[in-house]
Amino acid sequence: MPSPAERRRIGEWVLRAALLVVLGVALWRSLEPEVASRTSRTTSTSAMMRDLASFAASARVSSVNLAVDATPTRAERDALIALRRNGVAVRWSGSPPPLALELTRAREPEARARLHVTGGGAQTIALVDSAGLLDTVRAGSGATIDAASIVGDVRAQQGPFAASAHAPDQEARRAVLVLGRADWETKFVMRALNEAGWMVRARIPAAPNVDVRDAGILPLDTARYDVVVALDSSAADMASAIVRFVAEGGGLVAAGDALEIGQLGRLAPARAGERRPGRILLADDSVTPRDLPVRPLTLARSDAVTLQREQQGVTLVARRAGLGRVLAIGYDESWRWRMLGGVSGPAAHREWWSSEVGAVAPAREASMLSTGDAAPLAALMAALGQPSPAEVTRSQPTRDSLPIVLLIIASACLLAEIASRRFRGAP
Amino acid sequence: MSDFVFATAQYESGDWDSAPLVPANIIDTIARYTSIDVAPSGVIVPLSSPALFRYPLVYLTGHLPVRFAPSERTNLQRYAERGGLLFVDDHNHDIDGVFHKTATEELSRTFGIPKPLAKTHPLYTSFFHFDDGPPTTSHELNGWGDNLVHTTLSGVERSGRLVLLYSSKDYSSEWNYHPENKRFLSVDNTKFAVNIVVYALTR
Repeated sequence: MPSPAERRRIGEWVLRAALLVVLGVALWRSLEPEVASRTSRTTSTSAMMRDLASFAASARVSSVNLAVDATPTRAERDALIALRRNGVAVRWSGSPPPLALELTRAREPEARARLHVTGGGAQTIALVDSAGLLDTVRAGSGATIDAASIVGDVRAQQGPFAASAHAPDQEARRAVLVLGRADWETKFVMRALNEAGWMVRARIPAAPNVDVRDAGILPLDTARYDVVVALDSSAADMASAIVRFVAEGGGLVAAGDALEIGQLGRLAPARAGERRPGRILLADDSVTPRDLPVRPLTLARSDAVTLQREQQGVTLVARRAGLGRVLAIGYDESWRWRMLGGVSGPAAHREWWSSEVGAVAPAREASMLSTGDAAPLAALMAALGQPSPAEVTRSQPTRDSLPIVLLIIASACLLAEIASRRFRGAP
Repeated sequence: MSDFVFATAQYESGDWDSAPLVPANIIDTIARYTSIDVAPSGVIVPLSSPALFRYPLVYLTGHLPVRFAPSERTNLQRYAERGGLLFVDDHNHDIDGVFHKTATEELSRTFGIPKPLAKTHPLYTSFFHFDDGPPTTSHELNGWGDNLVHTTLSGVERSGRLVLLYSSKDYSSEWNYHPENKRFLSVDNTKFAVNIVVYALTR
């Protein structure tokens, strides 16, 4: 039976052993790798690039809540996607406007850039290129703006939100072959296209077996020409070549009697009806297209699409044929628009003809569409899904209580051991 | 499609109607040599009228001094901008005559100073070929007027096309006869008119 002094010494040894165990546990914990504590972080678009680096570096981040207060860039979206693929839950919230911007160029030699913008509700959208402000619009249901020249990328901005797009380059156009008799319509169609920048070649019969023509207009193929404009029946002897040309991807604009030529008639989307005279003009009247004489078009094919209609009937019909396109025109004597159309007549006539010829010209490049961040909200949803509210509980890093417990136990063991030795008078 | 209509310019000063048979003669020539649909009779169009713009080729001649009214001058400037061609012929065949002096002054104020056309100008090959430039007239060869054979016409071009064609050769006298009388000529002297019309219709 141990004496009380021995029991006290045994107790002191137990306390020392406990102290050693506690110190051992503390040493083991200090050498053990840090245990990740999973946390949720919140950031905003404007601060995201600064925060993303730390989020990516820390294994403790289990979710990221993004408050969208500006348009995330493509790089920022990619970074969020990378986080998500790395196991981090990425949520976003906010209400960015559904801005979308597209830039196109018509298939014309001196084509203006066309900006199609939508979104933004009743708020004003500023259209800006690298040189400065282009225009402002309210484009809740969409707006289209023509710009003569564009420098660099274009942005549609609404406050901190923006969509951006890059204007496609202008395509090099090939020649247009005009086939028509020697009359004012042929002359002024050639003149309009020439002024619009098209390289115009022509064959104009002026008498039996006498043509006024450019040298070497044949062969008719898509390597040399973009479009053939057939204004009357004088194109009849080239009908088979025109059919082949359209099948290979060339464009055809046909008007009046050209629509009645046998082979072209099978290609054409419409037939021209009886001529209806234009409006009788008073002394100071200016001619507009609706005042011109018209040969109303009757759709001849099920795939024909009516593009324009005046009071007197259909005036523009188009269809695809083979790899090419065919446009039927119902206006007669469009030259009167240029000569009698007032101050703006020549420019309007020129732009109209260039536009119609461009509409059937083949696309030479792979893509006519612009690139850029054209619809950032759609891209954000595609990348991160629908918006969702941020996690309400903002989790803090958890405190590890074990060191405190170990400190208390070690202190208690040490004090008890010292007190035991003091009470028995040991040093 | 409308027919080609030959238009004669009527201006407020001078004797604009000094060659009344020229239109019929040119219309006959156009019908005779070409397949151009041509109206059987010409029209007279006042230079100050908006109707001027219905006729992209207009013929102007006279003997007397020419002074354009401001409305005529403005109309002619717009006519040129939109693609019209004004053909002016000195019916006096006299570069010291009043028509030439006043008309060239007015035309210079309206269109710019006319310059001689080279013999290679497309006008001389647009239908018939006139390798030596504009054809001579009997009035030149007979020593009437200024007693000169004018070897060139003159004109003003915009964007590579004529907006003004000026002649001192007196085609107005040369062509001012009834078309029926062509049968008495060994060589039709109105062929150059075809070139002017075809040039206007195709350039």
